[in-house]
Amino acid sequence: MGEKPENRVDRIVSELLHGRRLKLRGGDAEEKEAIIAAARLSAASKGVQRMHPAFRKRLAESLGSAPADGWLTRRAALVAGLGVATGAITGGLIGRALEPASTAVAAIPEPRLISPTNGQWTDVGALADFSEGQGKRVSAGAVGAFLFRRGESVTAVSSMCSDLPCELRWNGGTGVLDCPCHPASFKPDGEPTNKAYRLPYLDLVSVRVTAAGRVEVLGT
Amino acid sequence: MTTDSSSSRNEGAGEGGGDVLELPAASSSTAIALDELELVYAFIYARVGNRADAEDLTQQVAMKAIPRLRQGAPASAIRGYLFATARSVLGAFWSVRLGLSESELHEDLAMAIPAGPPSEEPAERARRILAGLSDNYRRVLELRFLHGYSLKEVAAEMRSTVGAVKVMQLRALRAAAKVRIDG
Repeated sequence: MGEKPENRVDRIVSELLHGRRLKLRGGDAEEKEAIIAAARLSAASKGVQRMHPAFRKRLAESLGSAPADGWLTRRAALVAGLGVATGAITGGLIGRALEPASTAVAAIPEPRLISPTNGQWTDVGALADFSEGQGKRVSAGAVGAFLFRRGESVTAVSSMCSDLPCELRWNGGTGVLDCPCHPASFKPDGEPTNKAYRLPYLDLVSVRVTAAGRVEVLGT
Repeated sequence: MTTDSSSSRNEGAGEGGGDVLELPAASSSTAIALDELELVYAFIYARVGNRADAEDLTQQVAMKAIPRLRQGAPASAIRGYLFATARSVLGAFWSVRLGLSESELHEDLAMAIPAGPPSEEPAERARRILAGLSDNYRRVLELRFLHGYSLKEVAAEMRSTVGAVKVMQLRALRAAAKVRIDG
């Protein structure tokens, strides 16, 4: 016999009010709206929360051991008004990035080709379905792409912005892909349009046109 | 904004904040990232309502976003990236736990990227939600969530039974989920 909805939700409310983790069981999804409302009210009852000192310490340690691909530059930190006492920097991930500006100028990464593990070609439509020069969003499993037809050939770039994890939108008026999350846009070949502040190119996606006139994308 | 990342910051720490721990030696630089993640933590906590899940999800945001942040990224993009990642991580959390789709989560995840330290936003949000409920529903949720009453205490206060209060609590939460507080 299934748990009554009121008992189910009260169990979750009680756990939240005791500061416990959300432990959801099969069937709880039936009351998903009530559960989300309960989580919000539980949070509100405790006011704005800051990280616990022990968690903050763990996080600081994990930041210090993260890969050194780069994080804030000194310039970015100053622009952010974060008041960085650069003389006090003692190392770690952020410390590496807060080096003199001359070392913080990164080369624009070349576009990368997405090569899915065990990738497979996915039919995304007939060539005739694609308008000349107009971006069309397609999915090939987990790979999202914008396709552009040029005569009998088709090119493809990733549908994800190279700077923020947001889905791009095709802007037919300006002929670029716009990022909805910040002022960034990309040409159909993936090149960022902003010359002053250069973002990485969009990743490239493998695409082909079969002898039968079908367009296929290499996805998952 | 100060870069003093140890004692002053820890005094106001959340649920369990009593003991003050010193940060690692590289604190003045690491604090920059932690300042940003502090905002992310508050955002996540306001939606999951408990510390353990909020910590797990904040950690996920840090591990996903920070290695991908490029040198030279503008400040607005750094915070924007962290919050975009936080929305993605939260979306996955609710999707896995409750099978919610992205569209169902739209309102829950919609937000303006904060310009500064956490405000009293969750309390204000809750006040507005409760204001949109009928008297009985508002009362049961106020007593339960804001005053920490047990079901028995709520029943006594409202001159009802535990069973009836439990049902009323469920209906009140369902109604709270439908309250639109945009604008």
